[in-house]
Amino acid sequence: MTTETTPLPTPGEDFMAEGEPRQDLAVEQVSDATRPDQWWQVVWSSKKARVGIGIVAVYVVVAVFAPLIAPHDPLDSSFVPLAGPSSTNWLGTTTSGQDIASQLIYGARISLLVGLFAGLIATVIATVIGMISGYAEGTILDDLLSFVTNVALVIPALPLIITLVAYSEVRGIWLIVGVISITSWAGAARAKRAQIITLRNRDFVTAAKFSGEGTWRIVFREIMPNMTSLVAASFVGAATGAIAAEAGLAALGLGDSQSVSWGTMLYQSNAQGAIAQGLWLWVFVPGLVLAILMTAMTFINFGVDLLSNPHLREDA
Amino acid sequence: MTLLDVRDLSVRYEPKASRPLDAVQEVSFAIEPGEFVGLIGESGSGKTTLGTALLRLLQRPGRISGGSITFDGTDITALHEDDLRSLRWRDVSTVFQSSMNSLNPVVRVEAQFRDAIEHHSSLRGEAVTRRVRELFDMVIIDPKFMTAFPHELSGGMRQRVNLALALALDPKFILLDEPTTGLDVVVQHSILENVRRLQSEQGFAVLFISHDIGTVLDLSDRILVMYAGRIVEDQSAGALLREPLHPYTKGLLGSYGDPRAETVKITYVPGRPPDLSLDIVGCSFAPRCPERIDLCLEKTPPLEPLNGGRAACHVAALQRRDGGAERFGEPKRGFVGPQFVKTGDESRSALTNEVVLSVEHVSKVFERRRGFTVTRTEAVSDVSFELRRGEVTALVGQSGSGKSTLAKMITGVESPSQGRIVFHGPQGDKLVSGFKGRALRDYRSDVQMVFQDPYSSINPAKRLGYVLSRPLANYQGLRGEQLRERVLELLERVALTPADRFVNRYGYELSGGQRQRVIIAKALAVQPDIIVADEPISSLDVSIRAEVLELLSDLVKESDVGILYITHDLLSARMLSDEVIVLNGGKVVEHGPTLDVIRDPQDDYTRTLLEAIPNPF
Repeated sequence: MTTETTPLPTPGEDFMAEGEPRQDLAVEQVSDATRPDQWWQVVWSSKKARVGIGIVAVYVVVAVFAPLIAPHDPLDSSFVPLAGPSSTNWLGTTTSGQDIASQLIYGARISLLVGLFAGLIATVIATVIGMISGYAEGTILDDLLSFVTNVALVIPALPLIITLVAYSEVRGIWLIVGVISITSWAGAARAKRAQIITLRNRDFVTAAKFSGEGTWRIVFREIMPNMTSLVAASFVGAATGAIAAEAGLAALGLGDSQSVSWGTMLYQSNAQGAIAQGLWLWVFVPGLVLAILMTAMTFINFGVDLLSNPHLREDA
Repeated sequence: MTLLDVRDLSVRYEPKASRPLDAVQEVSFAIEPGEFVGLIGESGSGKTTLGTALLRLLQRPGRISGGSITFDGTDITALHEDDLRSLRWRDVSTVFQSSMNSLNPVVRVEAQFRDAIEHHSSLRGEAVTRRVRELFDMVIIDPKFMTAFPHELSGGMRQRVNLALALALDPKFILLDEPTTGLDVVVQHSILENVRRLQSEQGFAVLFISHDIGTVLDLSDRILVMYAGRIVEDQSAGALLREPLHPYTKGLLGSYGDPRAETVKITYVPGRPPDLSLDIVGCSFAPRCPERIDLCLEKTPPLEPLNGGRAACHVAALQRRDGGAERFGEPKRGFVGPQFVKTGDESRSALTNEVVLSVEHVSKVFERRRGFTVTRTEAVSDVSFELRRGEVTALVGQSGSGKSTLAKMITGVESPSQGRIVFHGPQGDKLVSGFKGRALRDYRSDVQMVFQDPYSSINPAKRLGYVLSRPLANYQGLRGEQLRERVLELLERVALTPADRFVNRYGYELSGGQRQRVIIAKALAVQPDIIVADEPISSLDVSIRAEVLELLSDLVKESDVGILYITHDLLSARMLSDEVIVLNGGKVVEHGPTLDVIRDPQDDYTRTLLEAIPNPF
């Protein structure tokens, strides 16, 4: 609390005299204590989120420094096929003589890239469509955007993805990113539409109109900063979903055959009958790292939840 | 025997993320059976926390950290939930602050009564219905609403239903926590009358929590004044009015004035209450106190018996000791703080100023189409008046009287169905009617608005510097250093000094009065000709209302902006405005110089409004 004290009147002085009001007492005081925590402090305050952030950080380090960490080239098939774990091949080799550990390490790159970009693109689409249609609630624009959102919601995503991927010429990673993002934004867009409907009638929005702000600025500069927690939560959710979707597609054999991902590892192991041959590590390890990554991201979302619901902070 | 005995009660909030704070500190008081006790204090003073603690309804992170609550001979401080359940509602009941959502929206009103009655008494079936009908009669609601859902009732009716529900089991004690906040003055008045009448008939004890000293004085036998978690004064209503002991009480009393007087003075308590999570040395009111002496900054004054009541003030105690008056001066009744004065003369000269906006025979009809039938509602009918430069015109009326519709037409958002509104601007006359897009944006550099709720009208995600810079950048094209200078100038203009300390703050770091000043600064940024102020003080604490009124009044005197002051409160209209227009059901029922209207109201409706102003003097 910052308080500037005015000189105190001494008892002898006639400070009780009626008449002249003491205007000098009107010292403005501002409190520092009410400043709420920064968003990262709030997220970090949750133990689950800390664990999640820690795990994801490990994955990111592994992905970034894959060439330094991985003992071999993931596509190098010069090893003895079907070898067990050893000091050269930490997790053994595949039927075609590739090092499983190196594949696993390089696979983190694809998963995280897809998660990041598909998550980002889906969030951007969801935010733009959701915000505009919510802000324009009740107009033809809203009807149109809501219609598009509803269509995107009811179209079964997996068959659509499979069809899109199956008919495309090149199956690069960017195709996968694109397909995943355009099929996964609809739910998040509806959530944002609902949120902005509650925010757009606040006085500060009317106040912004009286400051001469244009619609775009009101929606994205005035209202959106008040929805950061929702946007962040939907990004983490979309990224988690995208990682799972990429792994699923690749496991079905619809992935990018040129690159190594956990999904393609699963596809290969399945195609080569790994389980029948007792190659448990080849199947088990990619599935495990995927499961851990997705659990970690869900943990992060527990922390993000605290942003939008302060009541949860007490139980964290 | 004492009904409720509270001894040294302390409530501590221990949130995980921030510093713990003692919201209620060593509070002691007693309530006798059938006594009506008022509890006043500004927002954040801990009065609602105290009320919640008395009902044992505190939730984490708050807890009772010390002291005891004895109700009717039973110590309930640590009583088990199961034992509390039989006590609650049968002996102790409450009417909560938020009348709008304390009834279950999916259950019919009668069923909600039946729940409470059947749980605690042997009444069943038809007998319960009879009891509910009786209760409805008590609070003057037509029993046909018994089968209604809460959303079918008006706000005032809902709060009456809540009151009836509180009375359902003839409790010995009722806690009323600002039961009329958010309701119209007239409705408020009738509900409180109702409460007082029922209380004297049935003899239950009441603790009435409010921030409005006028209504508390009107109703209560005895008054507790709370400041920063402590009770600072405890006196009977009459004694408190005659001789307030604590300077804070004087400040609260000073925020009232008699609207009928030729010259009205109201004071306000500058500054804001202390942050309770920090250690406070000495008296917590000292930084805002005009009477403080050195001792106040060193030692926390205890709540001691004084003049037949109790007070926690060094100065008050010293002055009343033997020979104290000579050393410390005679006790004073008024608050020696900043003051806002309005004389009759100022108004008379303002009424001859140049007209800036004229409203000519304006009507507004809303049509609602439902299938083949069209319902027409006339929100405003045949209203004419003029706004002048350097003058404040008050538009007074209850909710639903058409005030807001008129404001919307004047700000160019809606267009009148009949008649016309003409703005006499610097670029000649302009017809105001439902502008769109560019035209609306341009018109807003002539007409600005100050909002009702300063808590929601500043974007919580933006710094004040940004908020104030936007109109300047949009309408005057200012950039960079020039922009910053002008922002600082605006802050200085509304007395938020030193300005560079405020420019990087967020709205929620300021007190309500300070926030409202930021909103006013923002409205001033474009140098408008008219400011429409929609109930700018109704959501502020009584003790700081004058702060905002004074600022608005200075603006009118200094620049030649015209203010349309929309309110339901005739006292504040008297303080600020030169001319009053009283609206009822969309029609002007009275129109004239403020003082004339208030001293000699011609219309029944104006008289009703005037009677609703609590007048303890």
